[in-house]
Amino acid sequence: MSSLWMLFSRIRGWLSSRREEEDFARELESHLELLTQENMRRGMPFEEARRAARVRLGGVTQIRERHREMHTLPLLEIVVQDIRYGLRTLRKSPGFTSVAVLTLALGIGANTAIFTLVHAVLLKPLPVAHPEQLYNLGDDQNCCSLGGSQDSFTLFSYPLYREICDHTPEFSEIAAFRSHIPKLSVRRSSSDAFAEPFRSQFVSGNYFSMFGVGAFAGRTLSPADDEPGAPTSAVVSYRTWQVRFAADPSVIGSRIIIDRQPVTIIGIAAPSFFGERLGGDPAELWVPLASEPRLTPIGSHLNDADDYWLYAIGRLRQGVTPVEAQARLKSEVQQWIAGRPEMSGYTREELEKMVFTLTSASGGIMGLQVDYAEPLRFLTVVSAFVLLIACANIANLLLARATASRGEIAVRVALGASRGRLVQQVVTESLLLALAGGAAGVALAFLGTRVILLLAFRGAEYVPIESSPSIPVLLFAFVVSILTGVIFGMAPAWAGSHAQPAETLRGTGRSTTDRSRVPQKALLVLQAALSLVLLVGAGLATESLRHLENQKFGFQTTGRLVVRVDSDLGGYAPERLPGLYQELQERLAGIPGVQSASLSMYSPMEGSNWGDPVSIAGHPAPAGKVLSSSLNSVSAHYFETIGTRLLSGRVIDDRDTPASRRVAVISEAFARKYFPHEEALGQRFGIGDASHAGDYEIVGIVEDSKYNEPREPAYVRAFLPLLQARENNSNIFHDIQLLVAGSAQNLEPVIRRALASVDSNLTVIRVTRFDEQVAENFNTDRLVARLTTLYGLLALLLACVGLYGVAAYTVTRRTSEIGIRIALGAPSGSILAMMLRMAMFPVVVGLLVGLPLALAGGHAIASELYGVKTYDAFVLGAAVVVLVASSIVAALIPARRAARVDPIAALRYE
Amino acid sequence: MPEDSPGILQGTLDLMVLKTLETLGPLHGYGIARRIEQISEDTLQLNQGTIYPSLTRLLQKKWISAEWGASENNRKAKFYSITKAGRKQLTHEARSWERIAGVIGRVLRTGDSG
Repeated sequence: MSSLWMLFSRIRGWLSSRREEEDFARELESHLELLTQENMRRGMPFEEARRAARVRLGGVTQIRERHREMHTLPLLEIVVQDIRYGLRTLRKSPGFTSVAVLTLALGIGANTAIFTLVHAVLLKPLPVAHPEQLYNLGDDQNCCSLGGSQDSFTLFSYPLYREICDHTPEFSEIAAFRSHIPKLSVRRSSSDAFAEPFRSQFVSGNYFSMFGVGAFAGRTLSPADDEPGAPTSAVVSYRTWQVRFAADPSVIGSRIIIDRQPVTIIGIAAPSFFGERLGGDPAELWVPLASEPRLTPIGSHLNDADDYWLYAIGRLRQGVTPVEAQARLKSEVQQWIAGRPEMSGYTREELEKMVFTLTSASGGIMGLQVDYAEPLRFLTVVSAFVLLIACANIANLLLARATASRGEIAVRVALGASRGRLVQQVVTESLLLALAGGAAGVALAFLGTRVILLLAFRGAEYVPIESSPSIPVLLFAFVVSILTGVIFGMAPAWAGSHAQPAETLRGTGRSTTDRSRVPQKALLVLQAALSLVLLVGAGLATESLRHLENQKFGFQTTGRLVVRVDSDLGGYAPERLPGLYQELQERLAGIPGVQSASLSMYSPMEGSNWGDPVSIAGHPAPAGKVLSSSLNSVSAHYFETIGTRLLSGRVIDDRDTPASRRVAVISEAFARKYFPHEEALGQRFGIGDASHAGDYEIVGIVEDSKYNEPREPAYVRAFLPLLQARENNSNIFHDIQLLVAGSAQNLEPVIRRALASVDSNLTVIRVTRFDEQVAENFNTDRLVARLTTLYGLLALLLACVGLYGVAAYTVTRRTSEIGIRIALGAPSGSILAMMLRMAMFPVVVGLLVGLPLALAGGHAIASELYGVKTYDAFVLGAAVVVLVASSIVAALIPARRAARVDPIAALRYE
Repeated sequence: MPEDSPGILQGTLDLMVLKTLETLGPLHGYGIARRIEQISEDTLQLNQGTIYPSLTRLLQKKWISAEWGASENNRKAKFYSITKAGRKQLTHEARSWERIAGVIGRVLRTGDSG
């Protein structure tokens, strides 16, 4: 207890230290007086009495010092002292300080920027209540509407979902929602001629209550809204309300029209909520699942028990383990499927081997997170390397400065400074530098993050990720700064603890031996090695991206536009379509600048695919296996418009009408797979079981084209004429392709007008350049390539600055030696060569160390590379050349200075 | 709260200061030092300045209190007085010392007779 009192009184003493000291000085003075008087009473004269009194009292300085020590917090005092001293020292050498702070800002900023992204994408949970209790029923890696077996069960049909809801008490709530968020065309009122696309998510009635998300205004959906007979209600997202409804409060209760259906907006969701998944372009509206057949009548999934199209997230009850719940769910799903006619397309074997995993949904549906986990990990390592190089730079700078001021340090040690105290001072100074660098780095990171987000989410109109530094990010920057300060502070601290005061004082300046040479060289080697690794990484990533973007896709992107259309043609009699399509194609082809126009169900590289089992006439499937193919329905002129080459036979053209014989065009892969040793033209196949095997006659083979996975070989694919296709509502088109001559200057309004003039039920959702559409598939690859290159160049710059610094310092230190050499007749060329050799030696060693590291690193990311091997000679060679060339340039300037040293001036200077 | 003080010499000096103040009442630093010298019959020849750390310690533990006042020659001096807690501590310390002295005494006598 009394030790607490002591602490308090020490703190109080520290706060009022000056007054305390004056007080005590007076007390000592009075003591001295009394002693003096005693002595004078004994008969001593004043002077002697006073002197004797002093002796009897003891050393006044020591007593005061002791008193002061007892009245302060010595630790705090020392720290404050060190901080003041450190700041003074840094202010005295502004050049050094600014270079150091800038270097640190770049290093720490690079890391903070990446961490902002890592935190937002990988670490931050959904802005909902108790996200740690949420679990994905499945791993969400399948999308979007499947009939047939899933190896890892993740998509639910609506009746299956209802079954699970009722019979799984392990969860307090299970919500379901569409696996892919569609764009529905919405009219603000029935008088509006133009409909606008809104990203509208279909959700179960308990969606908002399961997430624990309330309404900002109005109310959210409830299970009562999700009944078949209930009037259709919608909840608007906060951002959509602000941006597209201009924050108009009268929106609540107002009516909008979706697909001719009236929908009432009943509320605005809480401001931070963006839905069940993090990604670009989040949902703008939420509507109940029960309204799905009304709002998307074509291809409605709701009432088909074998149509698996929903994701589900559930809130696990307290006390239940995920393992239990997972086991229960798996057996429920298996039982349900076993009871379906034809077991929903599963074989008995598939059903038994079915995988069902419960994965954490604290981050929601993890699609984005899975895509970004690898690249972000890679970028974190890259930025860590940059920071290491920055640390090495500062360490070298500090070492150089310590060696230069070793005379001063020697004097201080001789005067009684303890080594521990010196080390403490140096470490304090390092921490000050690091914190200053960290603060500047945070500012840099903020700017950088905005650019990174633009790169990473190119093509998205809005991403719910904040670029401004949040508390975790600031904390990260702070911790990294401290660590950095400690790491590079070790170098001068080590130098300080090895100071030899006597030797130094004896012969400052003349000595050519320098204990800091080895660590300096070692740091240079480290920098060179890390720079090489980063340069190689940048080269590999960039080459990989180049190969991805320039590969043979099987179509041409230059001069092409893709228009995504919401063709609200449900209820149109099939006889109307040919006339409609022809008129549309003619109208589009008639637009000035348009050379060719076509329609299709979907286009390449937009993320869509249609796959179904097929049967081939005369080629029955082997027992237990199902033949399948990707499919697309296309209009006449399709292949010409998107630039897919015809290999044999003919393309789909105007001859192919509902009345003519049904034909199809297949891809090379289809021909190779199903007709490996025979002519494919003339063969017949159909969609579904063997009864359909004769539906379509193959009349043409086109080259393989990639519609989905750019890194995989092209899928087996067949193309049906738009007007003849019947399955899956495939006679309704959703995309228009346009081949445009010259520069396509803002054709969008013209296109809209053209569509509207043909039929008002056609709404343009989006007009994109085809090359842009393809490029969006490579957002992560581009992000990695660009950032690695940027960071690699940054690292190279830092390493070269470091090399320059060390070389310049060496020249300065060895000026007298160089002077002697020149005076003795050495030609300036040999001096130049000598300095260059000295500077390049650590670089070469660094290359030798870095090459195997770079190869190992390349091997680690080999699975992410496309079209380039990890030991690609061009990339390695280029990296080595760049590093060596930059190093030579960096070392050249001080080397030339060395060669021009004036021997007389050099030798005169002590 | 009574407690054991660390270090023999430190502790004894603190003890002597407390005893002095209890016996003589409020006193300034010089007076306390003088008294201790007298009591120890000048065997304890410390510099008088060494009482100040003791005084600080005792002040921090609130066993003594301090006040500026007028000294004998009408000059200003800081006077220290013992507090109630100090008196309690003193009693406790005294008993400890007697106990220790008794034990040591017995040990020495046993050694003798053995």
